[in-house]
Amino acid sequence: MRIMLNDTPLQLATVSTLTQLLQQQQLRTEGLAIAVNNSVIAKRLWQEYQLQNHDQIQLFQIVTGG
Amino acid sequence: MLRIADKSFSSRLLLGSGKFAHPSLMQQAIQASGCQLVTLALKRLQLGQQQDDLLHPLQQMNIQLLPNTSGAKTAKEAIFAAQLAREALQTNWLKLEIHPDPRYLMPDPIETLIAAEQLVKLGFVVLPYCSADPVLCKRLEQAGCAAVMPLGAAIGSNQGLQTRAMLEIIIEQATVPVIIDAGLGAPSHAAAAMELGAAAVLVNTAIASSQNPVAMALAFAQAVNAGRTAYNAGLAAAHSHAEPSSPLTDFLATL
Repeated sequence: MRIMLNDTPLQLATVSTLTQLLQQQQLRTEGLAIAVNNSVIAKRLWQEYQLQNHDQIQLFQIVTGG
Repeated sequence: MLRIADKSFSSRLLLGSGKFAHPSLMQQAIQASGCQLVTLALKRLQLGQQQDDLLHPLQQMNIQLLPNTSGAKTAKEAIFAAQLAREALQTNWLKLEIHPDPRYLMPDPIETLIAAEQLVKLGFVVLPYCSADPVLCKRLEQAGCAAVMPLGAAIGSNQGLQTRAMLEIIIEQATVPVIIDAGLGAPSHAAAAMELGAAAVLVNTAIASSQNPVAMALAFAQAVNAGRTAYNAGLAAAHSHAEPSSPLTDFLATL
């Protein structure tokens, strides 16, 4: 399966859910948000959310700001 | 107590978390100020870069985190950012800000109102950053916003209450808390805003960019308290002529 992760192409072999993708990328989930094909995916759904070929995944994180 | 939506806060000073030289300085400033509401922003994750552990210390401080939609130029972008922020922080509280113009960062009143109406329907507690426009503030209130946050001056400009006359009308008319956001550059500006009857003020640059942010955070907290106490005490009226404060008797007339 081939996806785009923040505009970077990525070939996935063993990963099929959002949670597995985050684990593979060694990302903390705290302060993180995910959109797949421009739709925001609720955190409680990440574990079961099945990725599809050609999905565009965008990751966002909380930073400081006024 | 400051009451916003279903929450009460003993501090009437809100802090923005941007521009601090390092995270521990921000945490110390928050602690020194006693503030209970802190704004945060959202950005795209840079893959391969270390994620800051920004949240853990803040969550231990028992403060309400208030994500903003900074970077949004339209209502559509702001609603997308709001949904991301809700998931990132697991809160439905939101500082709505839409400023398409990078030079003055003036909030877009039309997009802000459109976004506010939709976000309220989506269950967000919306605190909109907005122009100091009494009609707009009333419309935002009618849309169901939990507070309004009119600007004192341009973001980060430290110019103080440039919009004072309009803020007075906004405060007089409001039935939700009026939080003066943006432009407050000195504790005296914050005190003046509170004397006008503002429910709270939001400060970031004036504290974070000062020479001693921790001491400045405390100074702002003291100014906010002084201004609020003065407002509650009821300011004496101003006059265009002198009013003697000592008896003008003629006991020296015999000399």
